Amino acid sequence: MERDLSEKNPPEKQLSNNSDSSDNEENATNITTNLNANHHDHPETETCDQLVSQSPKAGVKVEESDNTRHEIEEVHHEEKENEEKIGDTPPPEIHYTLETVSQDIDQFITTLSATPKDAKETIVEEEKDEKAPMEIPVFVEKFLDLVEEKVAKHELNEGKGKWGQNPEEDSSFLEAVNRISKLTSSLDGLRSDPNHAALISRIGGIQQRAMACLEDEFRFTLEDIKHNDQDPNTDAKGKQHEADRCVLPESESAETDNFLGYSDDAVSKLNRIAKEMIGGGFESECCHVFMMIRGHAFDECFAEIGFEKISIDEVQKMQWEALEREIPLWIKAVKEYASIYFVKELKLAEAVFSNYSSISSSLFSNLTRSVLIQLLNFAEAVAMTKRSAEKLFKFLDMYETLRDSLPAMGALFSEEYENELKTESTTARCRIGEAAICMFCDLENSIKSDTGKTPVPGGAVHPLTRYTMNYLKYAGEYIATLEQVFREHSKIERADSTSRPRYESESQNFNNDNDEENQSPFSNQLVRVMDLLDSNLEAKSKLYKDIALSCIFMMNNGRYIVQKIKGSTEIRQMMGDPWCRRKSSELRNYHKNYQRETWSKLLGCLGHEGLQVNGKVIKPVLKERFKSFNVLFDEIHKAQSSWVVSDEQLQSELRVSITAVVIPAYRSFMGRFSQYLTPGRQTEKYIKYQAEDLETYIDELFDGNSASGARKRP
Amino acid sequence: MPATEHQQSFLGRISIRRNQVIAMDGNHEQELEDLELFQRHTGDRFADLLSFPEDYPFTGEPFLSISWLRKLVDVLLCCEAEFKAVLIMGRDPSQILKPPLDRLLIDFMERAVKVLDICNAVSSGVDSIRQCQKLAEIVVSALEQKPIGDGQVKRSRKALSALMSALTIDDKENNHSRYAERTWSFGRRGSNSGGNHKDRATHGSFRSSSMVVAKNWSAAKQIQAMCSNLAVPRGGESTGLAQPVYIMSNVMVFVMWALVAAIPCQERSGLSTHFQIPKQFVWAHSIIGMQEKIGEEWKKKEKKGSAGLLEEIQRMEKLGQSLIEFADGFQFPAEAEKLEEVAARVAELAEICQRMEEGLMPLQQQIRELFHRIVRSRTEILDLLDNGKASQPII
Repeated sequence: MERDLSEKNPPEKQLSNNSDSSDNEENATNITTNLNANHHDHPETETCDQLVSQSPKAGVKVEESDNTRHEIEEVHHEEKENEEKIGDTPPPEIHYTLETVSQDIDQFITTLSATPKDAKETIVEEEKDEKAPMEIPVFVEKFLDLVEEKVAKHELNEGKGKWGQNPEEDSSFLEAVNRISKLTSSLDGLRSDPNHAALISRIGGIQQRAMACLEDEFRFTLEDIKHNDQDPNTDAKGKQHEADRCVLPESESAETDNFLGYSDDAVSKLNRIAKEMIGGGFESECCHVFMMIRGHAFDECFAEIGFEKISIDEVQKMQWEALEREIPLWIKAVKEYASIYFVKELKLAEAVFSNYSSISSSLFSNLTRSVLIQLLNFAEAVAMTKRSAEKLFKFLDMYETLRDSLPAMGALFSEEYENELKTESTTARCRIGEAAICMFCDLENSIKSDTGKTPVPGGAVHPLTRYTMNYLKYAGEYIATLEQVFREHSKIERADSTSRPRYESESQNFNNDNDEENQSPFSNQLVRVMDLLDSNLEAKSKLYKDIALSCIFMMNNGRYIVQKIKGSTEIRQMMGDPWCRRKSSELRNYHKNYQRETWSKLLGCLGHEGLQVNGKVIKPVLKERFKSFNVLFDEIHKAQSSWVVSDEQLQSELRVSITAVVIPAYRSFMGRFSQYLTPGRQTEKYIKYQAEDLETYIDELFDGNSASGARKRP
Repeated sequence: MPATEHQQSFLGRISIRRNQVIAMDGNHEQELEDLELFQRHTGDRFADLLSFPEDYPFTGEPFLSISWLRKLVDVLLCCEAEFKAVLIMGRDPSQILKPPLDRLLIDFMERAVKVLDICNAVSSGVDSIRQCQKLAEIVVSALEQKPIGDGQVKRSRKALSALMSALTIDDKENNHSRYAERTWSFGRRGSNSGGNHKDRATHGSFRSSSMVVAKNWSAAKQIQAMCSNLAVPRGGESTGLAQPVYIMSNVMVFVMWALVAAIPCQERSGLSTHFQIPKQFVWAHSIIGMQEKIGEEWKKKEKKGSAGLLEEIQRMEKLGQSLIEFADGFQFPAEAEKLEEVAARVAELAEICQRMEEGLMPLQQQIRELFHRIVRSRTEILDLLDNGKASQPII
């Protein structure tokens, strides 16, 4: 068959004579019937037509082909002593150009590939015995000479970025490489034939050199990343570089950065090179270069963001203040990688390796996997640090970042990697979440362990209340996240531990009309914290000897708590109306108790009982009453003006309520009994205060003004 | 009865209130049995690792091969699981809160943190081995072609240069690199051979595709730090929980040390100054045996400066060297005898690539699993300690 091809039907003859190709077809049919299918629809005829009609130099071609045939005959005369002799034969008179000879090569390749590979191999084996190898037309060598010349020219330019100066030349080089690759694969069947070894070796050599050129150009192009926000130094260098190459006009650097600093031209060049390298079987080299350079670029991204790699060991040893500064950088890194870099990297890989989706996806996955793991390791490392309540909010920031940024990224990866990365990011998120729960629950411990025996002066708001409530208020800003964290990451076994949330059983007693919120482990935990705080404050209130002051203390703290909770819509909602109502009624009770404790005794002085006997006012008793009223009031004033009610509303409520109780009683007492005292000396002595004076003094209460009272505070 | 045990019993009695631990004596006996079993299992597992067939490298799991390392990591995972069961399961926190166990556990957890960093470094080392695999695959695919011509030889030569400089990386070269990433420069060195056409140096540097742990981080130093406060439990400790903590620490240190020796890893100088495990422990016999073996290999390696003791890497290096010789002396057409030789080497190289293809990913996943397991256990031990602490003042 091979002999038939070369002797009876030399390819060049087919080119000029279509009828021969049908001859060829007949021959083929004779050999093996099962080849029929292939032959009937192989594209040979069509290609020939195309070539003839398309080629502007069709005429020249026929001429050339004639010449070639002539030469082949010559070679035949020399009895084909040696394959290498072909090279030694004097150059043909007609001057080949790469363009013209390429068409012959295309035709030759088409013819070769028209014979199915396995058929060729069997034939080669059969033919081997007969020592009649397939003839290789001389233009193949000629073609190789021309390509070699071209390759040599390109080798001179290696790595200098000469590409792009002459787009036609680039295309022609790529086409030549393409032909070499096709030629290589179509000669695959002849590999084991020693007669063609030299030729195949030569083609292999040229192909390798050409591929090396492509690889260099590929690398050069990939390394030529333009950063928009570079410092002027590098920028200037870059521009100078561009100027050297005269490739990219200024305007291009301003265009939108679709491909991580590569121009569209560069990407299309990379794509064309990749296609030829992969087509020629140099996929590994191409991918290797891509991995290397893009990997570096990823590292640089880390540096650009300012996120530095820290070992897990180091993270454990860092001060929180230092670590706290790293967290926003980490968040920024995760967000930027997830939303920008990864997306663009995939786009780049897909653009460069278009039509090779498995290559682009595996390159992308390999490139990004380690970056992601690195980022997740930081989260793991932070989650492992000593837990303390102050870290909670930074942890929640991290949690939110992992929750929001990573899932969208999953779609970028192939399924295999997606699953792995999903597991990894879920694990990291769990750890952060679990740590956050511990931290929040630690609030319980801080409340429990606050067992100081020194009462706050003046019954003011206790620092523990401030701390706890401000913490909760801040937590209110993260309420959705906290709820999610508690719902998803609470461990069942913790329910039985003393220091862990107990949301199953207790703390649901009074939240009855809010069933939905009872479902939320976080709201239960919140209620637990509030209850603990309440009982702790109650214990603290017992530290005051004066019951009235302990009431004021409870009112102060209670009011503070209610204000803070009302100040945060989320927390207020979570605590629910019943809680607020209960709290208000508690406060009212404290208020009542306070009034009773402080003012009922005073009001007792103004009672009418015992002052009159048979309708007659007993003056000494009256004098005694006025005296004790004055003393009592002075005492109260002195003591309670040093007490602290910093909530203005509460302060004025208290004063108003005191005034409302005291002033009318005093006025009526005065109105009724002041006449019994002798005006002048007696009046001056016993009626120390006018009602207006009392009002003024009442308005001085709860100022926290210890100076006004000479006495020591309780 | 030693003092510590008295104390243990005493605390054990207290703990009954909290955890309703069953009869203390039975509990204690059970515990002694658990400890005994843990020691025996640990010893057995490592003994299995040492009993590899002598006619390696072609059968079974050769010492320090990928599949052997996978077994090694498996052993660590098994020991870890059993250790956790002995230490944590049904444990009353008060038992581990008393000195010296509390301090021993804190040391143990510091070691565990270092293990995590080593896991990450080793995992990135596996990535760089995968890069070597890719280069070796180029060599294989070039030299598998027939006939082998200039093109194939040049192509393989180029990949071989890159491969060899990646394999014979000298740790010290990278130690003082300004940047955190390990730069595996490749290409230029020794690549100017292979015919009149100058081999293109693959400029730029080849780094492991994943990132290293951190700037100035050193695997060798971490391992040193891990064994710095590793003291044999004495007296009463030796029958208590101090014993499994000690065993587990040694197991961790040994496995990490072996992994770092086998797989390219950030900064390993000084790795050979290894830790001492007293010979009197039965469980330690196999570990000591392997330690000596690896130690010797490592000394050779340090002189040579190769990427790691991984059996596949070592073989790849040898094959690479001989293929370079072939390539440098190549003239077309090659003698049949030479070609046969080359074909055998290429086949072996292909077989190594195949092993890497099959084994590296699972190894990496296993190392990651180890990472997660250690994190989890550490958290559990910490919780136990915290619980104990939190509960004590309140009770």
